[in-house]
Amino acid sequence: MPPLPPEILDSILEYLVDRPITLKTCCLISKLWVPRVQRHLFARVRLGTPRSPIKLWKKTFPDPSNSPAHHTRTLTIFGTSVITAADMGVSNWIHPFHNLIHLELSHVYRAPLFTLYGLSPTLRSLSLRCTPFDSGLICSFPLLEDLALVAAFSFIDVDRWNATLASPKLTGTLILEGRGEARSATRRLPVLSGGLHFSKISTKFCNEEAEPVTKLVSMCSKTLEKLTLFYHPSAFPSTPVTSQNLTIDCICRH
Amino acid sequence: MPQLDLSKATKLRYLTFQWRESSVRWITMTLQTVKSRGIQHIDIYPMTIGEEVYPEWQDLDHLLVKLCTSHSIRPRVMYEAGRGGKILRDRVSSLLPELTRRGLVDLVEAGRQNSGGWV
Repeated sequence: MPPLPPEILDSILEYLVDRPITLKTCCLISKLWVPRVQRHLFARVRLGTPRSPIKLWKKTFPDPSNSPAHHTRTLTIFGTSVITAADMGVSNWIHPFHNLIHLELSHVYRAPLFTLYGLSPTLRSLSLRCTPFDSGLICSFPLLEDLALVAAFSFIDVDRWNATLASPKLTGTLILEGRGEARSATRRLPVLSGGLHFSKISTKFCNEEAEPVTKLVSMCSKTLEKLTLFYHPSAFPSTPVTSQNLTIDCICRH
Repeated sequence: MPQLDLSKATKLRYLTFQWRESSVRWITMTLQTVKSRGIQHIDIYPMTIGEEVYPEWQDLDHLLVKLCTSHSIRPRVMYEAGRGGKILRDRVSSLLPELTRRGLVDLVEAGRQNSGGWV
């Protein structure tokens, strides 16, 4: 039987994007199918969860040069033990994730974030959940548009901000969640040399944070088109992190 | 009561309010600061409704009617599916009587809207 034309195969696979089990089955049909199927199968990758530990990724793809990571557009890294200083250098497992559009770091609070600096030049959205706010990381992605800060925190020794570092334009969505996030954002974000140009802001805030929210709105006054305000009268607890709310779909949807 | 000032946001087009307490005075006060001429959408998404703040809803009703006539906007009241949402649907005509009477407000189930709502 003659092979399917590649464009027909691509059209078929487009319908299976949300069906990973079917995609895996497609890999068994023909070796010719594997590279095209992998493009969809590895488009979204989560690492560090009990079901997808980093050890498994390293074991499955021991040679980073043959890793399917270059297909990945959305990467979620969960847990502090995922990234280590040994992951630096061109022959590490992180390096092949160089075509990311979305990166979410959750509970990566003791890991050396500088190993992720400039990981993907095409990155458009970054989410820091229970992860140190690191302006050096933000500045290392020149095309970054969207930023989500969810119970992000500051480590003086982690935030290696350099005043001369050019920062991205940040023209997309800013999402602030968690206790005191609006207040923290007014302190942290102005240090970015490129200024703030967000067109959308979604923020939770409590009584004490009205002033910081007003300040944020003023900072983006020339570009802000959409504002979502979620008022809670008293300081609210941080959003409990589960595998269900780890995604940054909220950014992607906009 | 939070004192928000949106007067500097001159390009503002979409505004969504969501809250977890009875009082709606903060919304009225915030809307009074809006200076953007391009405002197109105002969504309000109450999580709780208290009878004791009925007069505050009346103030909000008056202000929204004023904004509707001056800015050609059509506010939307968002509600959750389920019992709480049903209560809100039943009460919206008494909470926002003028807006409802003039047919200027839409009731939209959260999750079914195209935009707005808490992301």
